[in-house]
Amino acid sequence: MRLTDLPRTTSFRLSVLFLALFGGATLGFFGFLFWQANSYLNSSVDHWIQRDSVVYLNNTGEIVRMLDTHAERDPDAWRPFGLFDSAGRYIAGNLHALPQRPVPVGRYFEYSLMRNGKEAPFRGVGYRMANDDILILSYNVNEIYGFKHLLVNAMTWGGILVFAIGIAGAVITGLGAVRQINGITGAVERIVIGNLAERLPTRRGAGDLDRLVYLVNGMLDDIERLMREVKGVTDDIAHDLRTPLTRLLGGLERARRRTTSSEEYARAVDAAIAETKAVLGTFSALLRIAEVEDGARRAGFTRIDLGQIAADVVEFHAPVAEERGVILSFDTDAPSLTQMSGDPSLLFEAISNLVDNAIKFSPSGGCVGVRAYCHKGRIGVAVTDDGPGIPPEEREAVLRRFHRLEKSRHTPGSGLGLSLVAAVAKLHGLNLTIDSSHPGSRVTLERDAPASQGIGGSLPSPAAGEREQMTSEEHALSSGT
Amino acid sequence: MTRVLVVEDDAQTAAEIAAALGDHGFEVECAHNGQDALDRATADQYSAIVLDRMLPGGIDGLTVLSTLRGMSVDAPVLILSALSAVDERVRGLRAGGDDYLTKPFESLELTARIEVLLRRRNASVPDRQTMLRVGDLEVDLLKREVKRSGRVIDLLPREYRLLEYLMRHPGQVITRTMLFEEVWSYRYDQRTNVIDVHMGKLRRKLDEGGLPSMIHTVRGSGYILRAPD
Repeated sequence: MRLTDLPRTTSFRLSVLFLALFGGATLGFFGFLFWQANSYLNSSVDHWIQRDSVVYLNNTGEIVRMLDTHAERDPDAWRPFGLFDSAGRYIAGNLHALPQRPVPVGRYFEYSLMRNGKEAPFRGVGYRMANDDILILSYNVNEIYGFKHLLVNAMTWGGILVFAIGIAGAVITGLGAVRQINGITGAVERIVIGNLAERLPTRRGAGDLDRLVYLVNGMLDDIERLMREVKGVTDDIAHDLRTPLTRLLGGLERARRRTTSSEEYARAVDAAIAETKAVLGTFSALLRIAEVEDGARRAGFTRIDLGQIAADVVEFHAPVAEERGVILSFDTDAPSLTQMSGDPSLLFEAISNLVDNAIKFSPSGGCVGVRAYCHKGRIGVAVTDDGPGIPPEEREAVLRRFHRLEKSRHTPGSGLGLSLVAAVAKLHGLNLTIDSSHPGSRVTLERDAPASQGIGGSLPSPAAGEREQMTSEEHALSSGT
Repeated sequence: MTRVLVVEDDAQTAAEIAAALGDHGFEVECAHNGQDALDRATADQYSAIVLDRMLPGGIDGLTVLSTLRGMSVDAPVLILSALSAVDERVRGLRAGGDDYLTKPFESLELTARIEVLLRRRNASVPDRQTMLRVGDLEVDLLKREVKRSGRVIDLLPREYRLLEYLMRHPGQVITRTMLFEEVWSYRYDQRTNVIDVHMGKLRRKLDEGGLPSMIHTVRGSGYILRAPD
C-alpha cells in the first residue's frame, strides 16, 4: 500500500466524512447566529429612528427649524436626515441629496456615504409628509457592520483551522491504518509463501483491527499446530507403511529369484497377500479413525449400556487371556446404571482395543481388570493392567496415530488402536484418561451420566434401586425413540 | 444353475465381483445403472442380487431395491456401499435388503454371504428344526445339547452359539466378520485373532479323543464345517 492509497483507507474516509458533517453543522449554526444577531441589531436601529421620527412628525409646522438646529449639532452628519419636496429637491437637514431613487418611502434601506475619506454604511427610512414632502431619517451602522465583519472573519478562520486540523487528523489516522495494513499484508504474504511461523504485527490497544489481528493470530497458531500434526502423521504413515511394503517387495523378489516349484510360488503369493492385507488393514484403520472423528456416525446412535458392552468385551477376550495366562476379570457396582446413547459396535471396538492392549502388555500371571461404574453422577469403564505402564510424559503421545512406545516396538500392532479409542471417546463425549495404577496403567473412559438417569451409588436397597432405575430407563427409552 | 445379478456402475469392480462369483459356480449378469437393474430383475428370475448403494442415472440402489420389493421380486439382496455408517446399513436393510457389505471387501466375504443368503432362502422352514446333524455331530436345539458319536460335549454358551451357526450352514464358508456379527451381535472388521482362539477352543472340544477335525480354516479368514470323510 502506498501513500496514494491513503484516500482509500477506511479511517481516512471516515475522518473526512465526519469533518464534512461537522463542518456543515457548524456552518448552519453560525449562519443562524449571524442572522439572529443581524436582525436584532437592525431592529434596535430601526427602533431609534422610529423614536426620532415621532418628534418630527408630531411637529410638522416647526420641522424645518428643528431640522436646521439638529443639523448644526451634527455637522459631520453621522445621523443623516433631510427634508425633500415631492420632486426630490433639498429643503432642510444635513442630508443634501436623496440617497436612493425612487424615493424609499415607508421602508428601511441601507446606503453608504463618504465619511472621513471612507465609505460608511447607513440605515434609514423615508416618510411622506402630509404636504407630500419626504423626510429621510437614518443612522450610521458602522458598528453593526464591524460586528458582522468580525463574526464572518472569526467564522472563516475558525473554519479553516478546523478543516486543517481535521484533514491532518484524517491523514494521521489514515497513515496509521496504512502502516498497520501494510504490516498485516506483508505478514500474510509471507504466510502464503509458506512461512507459517509468521504472525500478524500486534500493537498495544484494543481497537477493532487489533482484536481481529489477535483472532487471526490465534487461528494461525491452530493452523500451524494442525499442519505440524498432519506432517507428523504423514511421516509416520510413510515410515510405518514402508516397512511392510519393503518386506513385500523383498519376498516377491526372492520368490522370482529362487523359487522353483509351484508350491513355493503359492507360499510366496500367500505371504504377499498377507502383507498386502496388513497394509490395507492399516489404511482402513486410518480411514475408520477419520470417519469416527468426522462425527457422521452419531446419526446411528442408539441407547446402549456401557457396562453390558464392557462385559461382552471381557467375555470376547476371555479365551485369549486364558491362553496367555492372564487373569481377566469384569466387575460392576452399577448394573444397568451405565446407560447412554452411542454406537455399540464402536464402543465395543474401543473397549476391545483397550482390553487387547492390556492383555498384550500384561506379564503371564498378571491381572487385567475391567470395571464399569456409576459414581457421583459420572459413568464409565476403567481398564487396569499389571503391564509396564505408560510413562506420564508419553500419555499424550500414545493417543497419536502410529505412536508406539519404544518398549513395545517388538509386539505386533499398528499403533492405531489408541487413536481409534480416542476418536470413539470423543464422538461419545467420553473423557479418555490414562494414569498409573502401580505397577501397571489404568485407562478410563468416563462421562457425565445422562440427565434422565438418577445418581447411583448411594441407593439404600440395591434391588429396589435397580427396579426404580429400570422404570426411569424405560421412560428414557420410550421418550428417546 | 444359480444366477446372480450384479448391479455395480464401476466396470472394474463389477468384473471383479463377477469373477469371484463365477469361481464359486454362479452364473453372473451385470447391470450398470438403476434402470438397467430394474429391467433385468423384473424380466428375469435371479437367485440373488448384489446391489451397489450408489448408482448413476437418477435411480440409486435403495430406490431400485424398494421398487423391486414393491413389484414382489423377492430374491435376496446384498447391498454394497462405500459408507459404513450404522444408519446407512439400517436404511439399506429397512428398504428390503438382506445383508450389507462395506467396500472394500474381500471376495471371500462376498461369496460366503451370498451362499448364506441363498441357503437361507432355499431352506424354506429352517427354524422348525429341533435337531441339527452333520456327520456324527448333532446339536439338540431344544435341550441345547451337543453330541459327537453319542458322547455329550460340554460347551460354553458362546461356543454353543458358534457351533449352532456353523451347523446351520454346513459345507459353507463362514467368515470371521459373519461370525462376529451373528454370534456376538457387534459389527466391525475384526483384525485380532480372538475369534480364531474361540474357534480353536471349540475345535479342540469337538475333536477330543482323536476324532477327525470337522471345522476347517479357509484361506486365513473363514471357516467351514464339514463331516469328516
